[in-house]
Amino acid sequence: MENTVVNIEELLTLLQSPDFYEREEAVKQLNLSDSDEAVAGLVIALEDPDLGIRELAADCLTRKKGDTVAQLLIRFLGSEDIGSRNLASEILVKIGRDAVPSLIEYLNDDDHDIRKFITDILGLIGDEKAVEPVCQRLWDENANVVCSAAEALGEIGSTAAVPHLLAAYDKIEEVRLQAVEALGKIGDPSVLNKLYEILKTDDPIIRYAGLEAIGEVGRADSIEHLVPFLGNEDRLIAEVAMMAVIKISRKTGGKVSYDLPLNNFTDFLFDGIRNRDRDITEFTLSRLRHWFGREVIQGLLNVIDYVDENDLLRITEILGEAGHQAGKLIVEKLKTASSSTKLKLLDVIRQFIDEELAEDILDLASDPDQEVRQKTAHVLGVSGNPRAIPVLKALARDPIGHVRSAAYSAMGWLCSYDEADFIFEGLDDKYPDVREAALGALIIVGGPRVVQKFYEDLDHMDIERQRLAVTALGWIGEEEVVLPLLKAINHSDPGIRRSAITSLSKIGHVPDLHPFVLALHDENTSVRKAAVSALLSLNGEAAVEEVTFLLDDEDVWVRFHTINAIGELGISRLAELIIPFLEDDLDIIKLAAVKAIAHLGSREALPVLDRLRKEKNQDLAKAAEMALSTMGGKQ
Amino acid sequence: MDIKQRDQGSIAILDLNGRLDLSSGTMLKEHIKKLFEKNVTSIHLNLSGVDFINSSGLGSLVSIMKETRLAKGRFTLSNLANYVQEIFEITQLSHIFEIYTTEEEALASYQSVPAN
Repeated sequence: MENTVVNIEELLTLLQSPDFYEREEAVKQLNLSDSDEAVAGLVIALEDPDLGIRELAADCLTRKKGDTVAQLLIRFLGSEDIGSRNLASEILVKIGRDAVPSLIEYLNDDDHDIRKFITDILGLIGDEKAVEPVCQRLWDENANVVCSAAEALGEIGSTAAVPHLLAAYDKIEEVRLQAVEALGKIGDPSVLNKLYEILKTDDPIIRYAGLEAIGEVGRADSIEHLVPFLGNEDRLIAEVAMMAVIKISRKTGGKVSYDLPLNNFTDFLFDGIRNRDRDITEFTLSRLRHWFGREVIQGLLNVIDYVDENDLLRITEILGEAGHQAGKLIVEKLKTASSSTKLKLLDVIRQFIDEELAEDILDLASDPDQEVRQKTAHVLGVSGNPRAIPVLKALARDPIGHVRSAAYSAMGWLCSYDEADFIFEGLDDKYPDVREAALGALIIVGGPRVVQKFYEDLDHMDIERQRLAVTALGWIGEEEVVLPLLKAINHSDPGIRRSAITSLSKIGHVPDLHPFVLALHDENTSVRKAAVSALLSLNGEAAVEEVTFLLDDEDVWVRFHTINAIGELGISRLAELIIPFLEDDLDIIKLAAVKAIAHLGSREALPVLDRLRKEKNQDLAKAAEMALSTMGGKQ
Repeated sequence: MDIKQRDQGSIAILDLNGRLDLSSGTMLKEHIKKLFEKNVTSIHLNLSGVDFINSSGLGSLVSIMKETRLAKGRFTLSNLANYVQEIFEITQLSHIFEIYTTEEEALASYQSVPAN
């Protein structure tokens, strides 16, 4: 014990050392003791010349809490040194509820400054135990203490303070403002009638506070008392009244049904959005569906760079709904906007772009930002304006591939048949996305000229172009592609032969099926499979006789495919062709046969299917079970 | 191609069945032109019955979209079969049409985004 005392004394001495590290170490050591002397030492260190040591001591004291700490700190509140006083206040606030009893004890201190500081601290701590003692300070002889007491009661927020605040409002002129503010913060609706009465005062500051307080209380039925002030010639009063309406709107979940004169507050509301005031932003955006006009659209365009992604989406939706009304203003904004804003606005304008507006955005095709050029191409494509074609042709020569790709797509959307030759050049681009865009455009454009060019491309020196040609002809799908595709069935490339057969089966109306019959003998299995499907699709049951030999094809997948294709015809007479395959050596063929029989239906197959459902191969067993179930239903 | 019309409020819902090509596309454009004459400019096409569409069919849809824009209306599509979906992707027309997976989703969108 004696050692500890000696140590504390030494540490207290070290606090006076000129050496920073010795003083710092002393604070750390004092923190290890819970004795009153050690606490006193830490309090002394709050006046250390070095900020680091003062902060270290403050941190230690905050953790210690307890009466001694609070009482020693309270003494600092009377200090002449503002820094020490503020630091002590900060620590007491951080100590919080544990400091409240000591603070209340000193609330009647002779020094009015200490009474004021303690009142402030109790307000910041916000413990309801302090309500009654602080209420007594409303009647303090010192006006500063009285005002602090009213403010503190607002911070604590207890309804128990309401009668005291109302009494203070009526009897002490100096505390009126703080009392009204406190009543607002407490938010007890029972004070509303008093607040409405307060609005009649001649004092603009008190009226201002009254309006704010009504907003803080947040009751929808207060709106009728606020509405007259929305037209007040004192702009500040009108805006405070509007802010009160906004707060009520938030607190009531937007349930404000009054027809408000929002046009008088356009600048106020959009300034609020620009300043990222959440309440104003939410209120304003929620009103936009019922509140349109040139000024509103202009306001939205001016704040578009100040809102988060969510609000931006809402704004762009609203602008999109405004449609043409917003179009010209957006075009104006586009002239001076940043690249990111241009992209957002192009997305908006795209929703309602027409030929007239398209003329106004042609200049954006030479924007230095590649994304803007790309989006401009898309928007011009949507516009339907053929006068955009020269601009799109220029963009199709852009050094950036994505821009060229967008330009070709857009030319397709404009169905610019006269530009088919130009679009064909895109098929030679070095980037695949540009080639694909050009291909897509040519598919939309279609027509004899495009078909002829693709027909010629079937003999192009580049095999890739030949493949693109057969794909394009298939998707164009007009009658004039049938002959080129029939020719392509004899192409040297099996991929092209297969693609031509598949496309023709989709298009239908094929005058000559002979090339398909020949393709059944193709050396390539995928071509044979395509030919089976195509023939059965185009000629139905009549083609079955021609394809049956493929049931014995050397390739298992051709056999599998042929069984499937016959099954899909769903003609029960054909089951006799398939039944033998239920007992094939290969499970995969048995499986195809089971599924085909399920489509076709056959009593003769039932015994075999019944046997197959006991197969070890679970896929086969399940398929047989399902086929029996399906056929049971059919029969 | 068969066109059946159902009305839901101010929206004309057209059920298309069959192939959408030059002749059926022309028929569809005529049908929609008559709707415009009656000031019906909110048009939804349910394409679940369309299993084939060619270049002319696409051209008809693009033309209808442009006409609808001029009429300040809305034109939506839904229930695209795989083949139709694929050609919309290849031509990138999926970027310019309002396409919904189901008719219900498309009609719900009319609640939030009315015609221009």
